[in-house]
Amino acid sequence: MSNLSVFLNGKIGNLFLNFEHNFKNDGITILYGPNGSGKTTIFSALGGFINNLETRIFFNGNELHDIDKYPPYKRPFGIMFQNPILFEHLSVEENLDFVIKRNQLNTQNKNLISKEYLINQLELNSLLKRSAENLSGGEKLRVVLARTILKHPHYLLLDEPMSDLDIKYKAKLLVFLKDFNKKFKIPILYITHSIEEISQIGDQIVLIKDGKKIDSGSVSNILNRSSFVDLTGKFESSSILEGIVSRHDKNLHITTLDLNGQKLIVPGLPGKLHDIVRVRIRSRDILLSSSRLKTQITENELQGLISSIEIEKNSAFSELVIVLKNFKNNKNKQKLRARITTYNLQNKKLLIHDNVFIYVSSVSIDRQAYQSK
Amino acid sequence: MDIYHHLTSDFIAILITLKLAIVTCFFLALIGTPLAYFLAFKSKKTKPFIETIVTLPLVLPPTVIGFYLIIFFSPEAVLGKIFIILTGEQLIFSFYGLVLASIIYSLPFWVQPLQASFEKIGRDTIRTSYSLGAGPLDTFFNVTIPLSKRGFFTSLIISFAHTLGEFGIVLMVGGGIHGKTKVIAISIYDHVEQLSFGKAHILAGGMLILSFIILFTLFYFNKRTVVRVK
Repeated sequence: MSNLSVFLNGKIGNLFLNFEHNFKNDGITILYGPNGSGKTTIFSALGGFINNLETRIFFNGNELHDIDKYPPYKRPFGIMFQNPILFEHLSVEENLDFVIKRNQLNTQNKNLISKEYLINQLELNSLLKRSAENLSGGEKLRVVLARTILKHPHYLLLDEPMSDLDIKYKAKLLVFLKDFNKKFKIPILYITHSIEEISQIGDQIVLIKDGKKIDSGSVSNILNRSSFVDLTGKFESSSILEGIVSRHDKNLHITTLDLNGQKLIVPGLPGKLHDIVRVRIRSRDILLSSSRLKTQITENELQGLISSIEIEKNSAFSELVIVLKNFKNNKNKQKLRARITTYNLQNKKLLIHDNVFIYVSSVSIDRQAYQSK
Repeated sequence: MDIYHHLTSDFIAILITLKLAIVTCFFLALIGTPLAYFLAFKSKKTKPFIETIVTLPLVLPPTVIGFYLIIFFSPEAVLGKIFIILTGEQLIFSFYGLVLASIIYSLPFWVQPLQASFEKIGRDTIRTSYSLGAGPLDTFFNVTIPLSKRGFFTSLIISFAHTLGEFGIVLMVGGGIHGKTKVIAISIYDHVEQLSFGKAHILAGGMLILSFIILFTLFYFNKRTVVRVK
């Protein structure tokens, strides 16, 4: 299978880039980091548009950094830039044909991704004859995405593709990307600032700050790590939990997930029965108690063990990491971050290795953060 | 007889003027287009220097350019010598001397609108085209040129009109030789000097109407383009 390894070193503008990573060749990898941390620069380097950096890019055993052999127009990537551009002298359909005409060679298996399939999936039919000049932001984005995919890239690079979309369409497009990735086995590298998008479509994640890789791994692992919390800020701190759908209640529109024997009720009807569904719970939405409450104040009551307590200096808050009890005794360990006031922590006399009861309202569970596996 | 002679003389001047403008625009397209592209996308350190050179004809008095061109075109100068070797004719006071002078004089009028138009297309569009598998030439002819239609149109119209109206340099370099380098602007000057206001009216009025039509066409079809002359 293909393999993409990237090494970049040097100064570009005010940024000192020193980045190295072997990107997985399947699934969706998120590139996450603050503005100006070098994410877009990595894309430019992959595209062959940067020549004043020490660059080593290996893809399928080819040395792509050899710019004479692999100029930008001979690279196997489909890149969607941050401000996607359509050729405004052409119609929407001519924009799609532009890339089809120029990429006949690498499309022997033409039936793989057809123009019709994308027109259908991305709802482009009514746009085809229109000039590319007068499209709305969302329309433009869909056309550019279709055009990028029609290159039949070996790796798809998307730089904040959803930033211009309304929430409703965003959800649709995320589902499309996830399905597309699974169906055609084209790996995706995806830059985003949205934790919702990460938890919904990300498989792997690479954290980058000031031009350096800070951490990398699977999304469910990294999002619970302090390296990620450091980047997002404590307020956005959250945890990803994975559970198996055990029941859909179509009347009340809720789903019960099984988390190693514990029940978690989430709104909506994500996945199918026995699917694994991923949810995000913000640390600040969690209530803790050292003993079981007589009246259950939320839909959900989970049990866990406090594995670490961090009392923040010059702040009212403390952050706890709780390992959820595993009643099924498998190796699957799930962690939850909780953020409560230090006042509350001391009042309840919560200590490390204590058992705790965790209360989460289903309302606060991130509704967009579903991912069926 | 005398009147008929002058009419044909003016008619010849009109033909020479049109020929000069067409030939000049042809060479401007060949020279000015790559130059505009280079200024818009490629150059970094050299850009201010080249831009200054290209723009100089806009601010210099025509007599200054004319003076230096006479020196460079003279049979004793290298350029003049080369031209004599190649064609057996003198460059100075010749039609091709006039063309060369007009190219230099109209260069900013070709380069600037086109450069602005290329810059508006932007690097990202070019990069998008590359990343979709189109090579540099493919991109230039199928993306850059179609997208800068307005720029080409503006450059062509402005350069053409400007070459039609040039007087000072043309007089100095060409000498206003009847049937060879005498253009409309010089004919008008001669008529006025001879107090033949009637003939001057015909040519001047013709120029006025023609220039009006040309500029009106430009602004009518090119509403969104600002003619940028620094």
